[in-house]
Amino acid sequence: MRVFGNLVAATLKDMARDKMTIFWFILFPVLFMFLFGMIFSREDTVNFNLGVVVEKPDGFSQMFLANLEQVDMLTLHYGTLDDELDALGRQKRNAVLVLPPVQFGSNEEITIPVYYDAANQANRVLVVMLSEIFTNVERVMQNRARLFVVDAKPVQAEGLRDVDYILPGIMSMALMQLGLFGSIRLVYLREKRVLRSLGATPLPRAHIVFSEIIIRLLMAALQTSLILLIGHFVFNVKILGSWWQVLGTVFFGAAVFVSIGYMLVTFAKTEESGHGIIQVVQFPMMFLSGIFFPMDFIPAFLKPVVRAIPLTYLGDLLRAVTIGSPYAFGLATDLLVLSGWLIVSLVLAIRFWRWE
Amino acid sequence: MASIVVHGLTKRYGKLTAVNQIAMEVESGEIFGMLGPNGAGKTTTVEILVGLRKADAGEIKVLGFDPAADSSRLKRSIGVQLQMPMLFPRLTVEESLRLDASFYPDPFSVDQVLEWIGLKEQRKVLTCKLSGGQLQRLALGTAIISNGQILFLDEPTTGLDPQARHNVWDVLQKLQSMGKTIFLTTHYMEEAQHLCDRVAIIDHGSIIAMGTPNQLIGDHFAEKAIELSAIGNCSEAVMQELPGVTRIQAADNQITLYSTNVEATIRALIQLEAEQQLTVTALAIRKATLEDVFLKLTGRSIRQ
Repeated sequence: MRVFGNLVAATLKDMARDKMTIFWFILFPVLFMFLFGMIFSREDTVNFNLGVVVEKPDGFSQMFLANLEQVDMLTLHYGTLDDELDALGRQKRNAVLVLPPVQFGSNEEITIPVYYDAANQANRVLVVMLSEIFTNVERVMQNRARLFVVDAKPVQAEGLRDVDYILPGIMSMALMQLGLFGSIRLVYLREKRVLRSLGATPLPRAHIVFSEIIIRLLMAALQTSLILLIGHFVFNVKILGSWWQVLGTVFFGAAVFVSIGYMLVTFAKTEESGHGIIQVVQFPMMFLSGIFFPMDFIPAFLKPVVRAIPLTYLGDLLRAVTIGSPYAFGLATDLLVLSGWLIVSLVLAIRFWRWE
Repeated sequence: MASIVVHGLTKRYGKLTAVNQIAMEVESGEIFGMLGPNGAGKTTTVEILVGLRKADAGEIKVLGFDPAADSSRLKRSIGVQLQMPMLFPRLTVEESLRLDASFYPDPFSVDQVLEWIGLKEQRKVLTCKLSGGQLQRLALGTAIISNGQILFLDEPTTGLDPQARHNVWDVLQKLQSMGKTIFLTTHYMEEAQHLCDRVAIIDHGSIIAMGTPNQLIGDHFAEKAIELSAIGNCSEAVMQELPGVTRIQAADNQITLYSTNVEATIRALIQLEAEQQLTVTALAIRKATLEDVFLKLTGRSIRQ
């Protein structure tokens, strides 16, 4: 046990002094969290720039614009038609609204031109929103009562934002990369004859692998804690699971991907080929697992792949445990599939690993 | 008492027989050298003796253990330095030694070993920053620190400068005086001659001669060697006929005459020069060495 402790301490020092290890396994996920957090929490406050052209100020336009000013999502810009259309062309406006003079009492239909940038899907929502406002104004003017009233009821108390989904996604990605890329170190130690030199000492070989695995688990805990802390304190992500549920899931996920990593590198003769193999596996897995965007976006013919890869299930598990989103496949399925990958990979890794 | 007993040790890699029917006994407390060119089978032999490889045939006992069956117990009682050793790249010299020391039941102190291998000033240096020679000495240190009964050293001084090599010899002799048995391989003749109590000369996987360096030289050479550089049209056959000459080795203008009567041979050489058959540009007389023995036994120089 003392020997093992010494080996773990030595391995930890050896790894911690490698700047690349620290960057890829600790700093990189942290940067990712900041970056994605900033991108996806910005979308939270939707804002439309609406250009308004008033052809001739009158009572109607005054009343209408007073209403419009109340809408939080809109920033109004007043100007001439030419200026505003120019601004729209330079994508400084989402849409431009032209208010013609309105003669009350006439039964003529009044056309309100709305120019918008059709390239952006969200702008259609703005157009619908504007017609809704006009309908409302029309109803008030005609003194009609409301027939239908939509009562919006958010299901989750807080409501899950994009940044909430991103957090477990980044945790999953980080755990996968730690497990897969981390396993290359054993190939490196073999290539550099370190394993061979240690093999001539009384140290049992299994100790070397166990110390590597223990350090991976420690790094997994550190890395995911940092992501959680940033998510919670910087981006206000509410963590619903208890710390031991989260930590248990993190260790389990790390163990699954460490095993898969060791299984994959049995095919590698050199550190370089190890990198190639891992890269080929991890890159598609990251995009097909639905950890960063909903699985509905993935074309149907790829669905079987999605259902087979382990990252899909780790993502599901972590989403449920951290932000409390409902299980897509069920807790039992997640655990079963991941355990399956863990055991099969471990058996194959032990069977095919070559110490020399 | 013999520390290492080997009979009929054979190792094949496919069709190549790397080690062929080796037999030897190494006594406790002796420095035993295995001398041979690269690829002769030295490393394979060491790796089998320490339990890193399995022999295809033969009986092997190291400290009474069968290395193949009982390697974990054997490894606790021996220290091993492999060729081209590598340690964790980002541990310091001191940390590496401390780690290795922790594997053994009764290791030497780190300070003691640092002193022996001359790396006291480098104790805080990461191993990946060491020069080749320093790394080589550190690897020797990781073997020594075991305080094992036998030290197996595979080419311990390869890549060291002469000064460092002599320091290693001093340390190994000190360890011998403490009762250690040392089994080393080398392709340096002078190392074998200076350091080893007994030497086994190995070539193409077979031991072709074994004994103390003086025995080996005495067995094969009653004569002394006359080395000369000469220009001229004097044939080897003429030189072979000079008085006292028993054998001749020639390569380009470098000629070595082995002579039982150095005085007569030299007089004849001067005579040849007077007859203008050749011009001697340099001449040295020396006792025969292991190099000469190797040359005689294999027809090749060990460095080739």
